[in-house]
Amino acid sequence: MTPAIETHGLTKSFGATLAVDRLDLRVEPGQVFGFLGPNGAGKTTTIRLLLALHHPTAGSARVFGLDSSRDSVAIHARCGYLPGEFELPRRMTGLRVLDWFARARGHVDQRWRDELVERFDVIVDRQIHELSKGNRQKLGIVLAFMHHPELLVLDEPTSGLDPLMQNEFQRLLRETIAEGRTVFLSSHELDEVQRVADRVAIIRAGRLVVTDTVDRLRQRAPQTIELRFATPVAPSVFESLGGVQRVTADGDRITLQTTGQLAQLLRVIADHDPVDVVARHADLDELFLSYYRQAGPGDDR
Amino acid sequence: MTAEITRYDLYNRRRSTVWYAVGMALYMLVIVALYPSFKHSSELNKLTQGNSPLAALFGATGTLTSPAGWMNVNAYANFLPLIILLLTIGYGASAIAGQNEDGMLGLLVVLPLSRRRILAGKTTTMIVQALILDLTVAACVYVGRVFQVTLDPWHVATATLAVLLLGIDFGLIALALGATTGSRSTAIGITSALAAACYLVSSLAPVVHWIRPLRFASLFYWAVGHQPLTNGARPGSFAVLLAVAIAAAIAANTAFRRLDIR
Repeated sequence: MTPAIETHGLTKSFGATLAVDRLDLRVEPGQVFGFLGPNGAGKTTTIRLLLALHHPTAGSARVFGLDSSRDSVAIHARCGYLPGEFELPRRMTGLRVLDWFARARGHVDQRWRDELVERFDVIVDRQIHELSKGNRQKLGIVLAFMHHPELLVLDEPTSGLDPLMQNEFQRLLRETIAEGRTVFLSSHELDEVQRVADRVAIIRAGRLVVTDTVDRLRQRAPQTIELRFATPVAPSVFESLGGVQRVTADGDRITLQTTGQLAQLLRVIADHDPVDVVARHADLDELFLSYYRQAGPGDDR
Repeated sequence: MTAEITRYDLYNRRRSTVWYAVGMALYMLVIVALYPSFKHSSELNKLTQGNSPLAALFGATGTLTSPAGWMNVNAYANFLPLIILLLTIGYGASAIAGQNEDGMLGLLVVLPLSRRRILAGKTTTMIVQALILDLTVAACVYVGRVFQVTLDPWHVATATLAVLLLGIDFGLIALALGATTGSRSTAIGITSALAAACYLVSSLAPVVHWIRPLRFASLFYWAVGHQPLTNGARPGSFAVLLAVAIAAAIAANTAFRRLDIR
């Protein structure tokens, strides 16, 4: 099956700054693909490259098998886009904005658009400059979804939304996937992504760090083990073990994280007279933060 | 769908377009209404006697008390081109670079429209805005008949078209510079400086000897330098203005295709 999105060695630099570095991505149709990374990692630049807003310095991006630069008009006809930051004409009302974009696209299901307006409680009778950030964001969501696009490219879509609207948005994403359409969801918020995404990619400093299903990443995530011993034990006892990381000691207590085999670790623990052992479930947050932490402070990309 | 781009920008600039037209109409009506008071003024014609550079700087050459001379010195040689250039350069700089800086262009560019068609829509917006202003002035000139401002309608049409083309030329240059640099202020600055230089060269060429050879490089010279209100059409001038417009449009299209959109 033709992937919804496929990139090969996609690279974008702005002068001396390398924003996206040899990115290889593959997004299958009919799934929510979470695109995670800290601020300035290159998420927005990647999105702009996919939609031919930016031109790649090297490599290629294909959407539905079409070249993103050469076939941009055909791709745009099948895509809905919600930018991370966008502005609309200040003196236009929300309704006029929606009407105009519907006419410019040439094919919008009016009833579906009105349903979206109702579901997200979008204020359409006021001018854009009178709307809050959240209300403008809701208008942006309607603009992205109203023409039933096959692929939705969403950059920080729930920014500014209250929890109620975030739930409604997640419901909309699930409906979208149920219809066999694809969502490329960029965010720096793990919670937002892991609730809805089938697959996740993490980008850091313009480079792809990892891409996998959420379940497999969860399996790979470090386990946290809290230990209490009869007498204090030196952390160095555990630090040399394979797969053990982030060992902290506090009196007779030791806390460590491990991604390795447990057998050897348990043998060492047993040798030191443990009085209490608590193992917490795999911490996905910690896994992502460990990927994020490796990043230095980056420029906005 | 290209027409929707035009409608979008026209709608969002409707207030400024209307106020430009209203302001210009009021100015023009005052000018034509004043004509009977000056038509026999010999003092006025003394201004241009002896090829005064100062008078030339304000676009005053030849007889000022004739209807054509009066309208030329008060509108077609200076004020009308200035206002149309304000409109077209301002729009040209904001249409691509400005809207991109403001974060408004991304949502337009992801519509199923080629950038060439988006540019065509924006160029049409520029032409319509300039045309509204230009025709408003022409209508006021027609009303001027009531005040003895009787001009050859063909000459008025010629001057109207020449000023329109001048505005489009500079507007498209601003558009091309904006699409090349991505900066609205750079586009406005460079294009305005270019327009000012062209105006000076064209105005002073008749009276300052060393500037005279430079006049061919001035778009003002090709548009109003030969006083179309008095002398009528000069097809070669239109050809030059049209060629510059086409070249600027091609440059704008090439730059816009390469521009990274926010």
